[in-house]
Amino acid sequence: MINLADLQGNILRGYTKKPHVRYLILEVAEPGAARRWLADSVSGRNGVPQITSGDWGKNKPDTCFNIGLTYEGLRALGTPSASLKMFPNEFVEGMTARAVKLGDVGRSAPEKWPAPFNEPKRIHLIATIYAEKVEQLDVDQERALTDVKAFKLLDTREGYNFPGDFVHFGYRDNITQPRFEGVPDSQRYPDRQPKAPLGTVLLGHPTNLEGLMWRVPEPAELGHNGTFNAFRVLKQDVAGFERYLDHAAFYLFVHPKGGELLPHGDEEKIGKGPSRHTALREIVAANLCGRWRDGTPLALSADAPDPNENLTNFDYVGVGDARCPHGAHIRRCNPRGGQIVQRIANNSRRLVRRGVPYGPPYDPANPYDPAKPYDGDEPERGLLGNFIGASLGAQFEAMSCDWLNLGLQDPRITGSNDPISGTNDPGTSWFDLPLKSGGTIRLPGFPEFVSTRGGAYMFLPSLAAIQYLADLR
Amino acid sequence: MANDESWLDRFVNKLHKKPKPWFKYFGAYILVPIWARLTPVKRLPGGARPAIQPGDNVQSMMNLIMPLKRENRSPIGRAKAALAIAENRDQIFAGLDNVGTVHFARFVIVNDNICMFSFYDGDFTNYIRDFIATIGGAFNDVVKLVEGGDALIPCEENVEAFIQWIHEHDLYQVPDTPTDFLRDQEDLNGDKAVSPVNDDLTLLPRKLVLQLRANANVSLGSGYRAYPGFSVAQVRKKLELGW
Repeated sequence: MINLADLQGNILRGYTKKPHVRYLILEVAEPGAARRWLADSVSGRNGVPQITSGDWGKNKPDTCFNIGLTYEGLRALGTPSASLKMFPNEFVEGMTARAVKLGDVGRSAPEKWPAPFNEPKRIHLIATIYAEKVEQLDVDQERALTDVKAFKLLDTREGYNFPGDFVHFGYRDNITQPRFEGVPDSQRYPDRQPKAPLGTVLLGHPTNLEGLMWRVPEPAELGHNGTFNAFRVLKQDVAGFERYLDHAAFYLFVHPKGGELLPHGDEEKIGKGPSRHTALREIVAANLCGRWRDGTPLALSADAPDPNENLTNFDYVGVGDARCPHGAHIRRCNPRGGQIVQRIANNSRRLVRRGVPYGPPYDPANPYDPAKPYDGDEPERGLLGNFIGASLGAQFEAMSCDWLNLGLQDPRITGSNDPISGTNDPGTSWFDLPLKSGGTIRLPGFPEFVSTRGGAYMFLPSLAAIQYLADLR
Repeated sequence: MANDESWLDRFVNKLHKKPKPWFKYFGAYILVPIWARLTPVKRLPGGARPAIQPGDNVQSMMNLIMPLKRENRSPIGRAKAALAIAENRDQIFAGLDNVGTVHFARFVIVNDNICMFSFYDGDFTNYIRDFIATIGGAFNDVVKLVEGGDALIPCEENVEAFIQWIHEHDLYQVPDTPTDFLRDQEDLNGDKAVSPVNDDLTLLPRKLVLQLRANANVSLGSGYRAYPGFSVAQVRKKLELGW
């Protein structure tokens, strides 16, 4: 059984009762002071917020506090070069160097990222505060930044989990995470996916690929039980997404095979009233995601959302081609046990996802920024995403470049990108809606609904590793 | 910009425009070494560069050149390399099938190098990682015969180092267009904004000469196809071979 007290709490816990999240993006000011700060963050002395571990004991913390370090941050803290050399290439190079692989091109290109992400080498440590109330975030931020010699605050990012776990595009999120072998299953929800080996999320443990081990940076107290996080600031074009659903619904309304998707008279089953147009919008939205907006998986309920259906206990094995599109977002990111081209890769690219929306919720009655009503601009909104796994290359990047974009896992979608978060160009993008008769209706013209506005590859050290870094001289 | 040129730049440009018969000897044995010393050029990394349009990332090419260890640079050593492939024939076929993204792979011995040439779909590191996971043992048998290979065995436990090693031994693919070649060079040097004077496209051959001095074996272009790119699974599905 894993010692949860040695892990940072945000790896295996979702902090679901703490909806307010603030990221402090920090640069090491003076290495000695920064190392003292790290020591204080482990012990909770001298006012610095204490790192929240995975073991809360009997006392739940009022706020949670966790850190991640970039490669530049490890260097700035004085990590020995022999240890630095043992970190994987993708982490050493950093997220901006991997832009093409991740689809960060065009308006998502790192050259267009705003401060502080326009100077990635200055980003050394990102501290995250989770709290029930905004005031608590302010208090912990002040405590974290009391010693000005330790870190310089470059900027902050802040998000808030909407009630009901809905996100900007209107889908319910935070439904499921991988369950791990050797970890008590606190959520105890049924899931047809096998438990993931601990090496999926922690360095130094067996991985899902039999016999393969990821390199653990030495000394052992530095690397063991650490993991990596792809932190992403993802801007979402919600008005554009809703406009696309409108266009697609009109297209299907007159399409000769549109009746196969929604037989006449079934409109109210979708749960949005008698309007055929509105029902078709929801069918498109559900197919793009692989879940209805209330979270019901299409693999379990393809015809209409069903509040009584289980949200997690499903697989794509034996699911006919008509139930859930092969190109749907959740199926692309995690094909579960379904047939894929890379036969050994089933369940090997799973990630722990910790996301929180930022920016104001979308209001269809007032879609544009009240500060600039005539510009036709939305206020910036999106997702502050954390994609956590023991290998950035084998999990986050592999999922992003071969599955999310390109669609290599299934010849029926190869050459297309994820309809919601892919690097899409309206001139070439497409998505196939499956029909019960066996055919498909191809939707063209997807713009890029999600664009990258910043990010960094982080190492999430264990508590022992933070103490090791604090003790460096 | 011309005013920023050194006397050597101007001299070379003049020769380049009106080549003299003795220039190739002068250039090869005197000028290029001096020039390389004055303008150090890093070796460009190997392998296919990911395409910005993700749909183009199929049928990419790997040209892996692995020099045999000194003690294997003999007919017996080369025979050992041939044997390592022959003995793992079944594993290699099984690996190709399970990895699912490899079109063709072939092994060739050229001048005390064992070479693996292949066409694959998607990301290079995923291809190699999946191969190690599937037939790591076969790779171990080959890698133990080549220079620098001992540190990578067993490759199943040195995945990151093994992928990096393969990447370093994969030939640089000289882009077909000069602008792409200059982009590669600038990326490597971390140059983004200011182009030095000799980045002028008309002087491109000079940069290429220096790169070919640092990197004697390269691939010219990224392969040429007689038809648009398809993935392995698309071909297999179309031919009803299962995928």
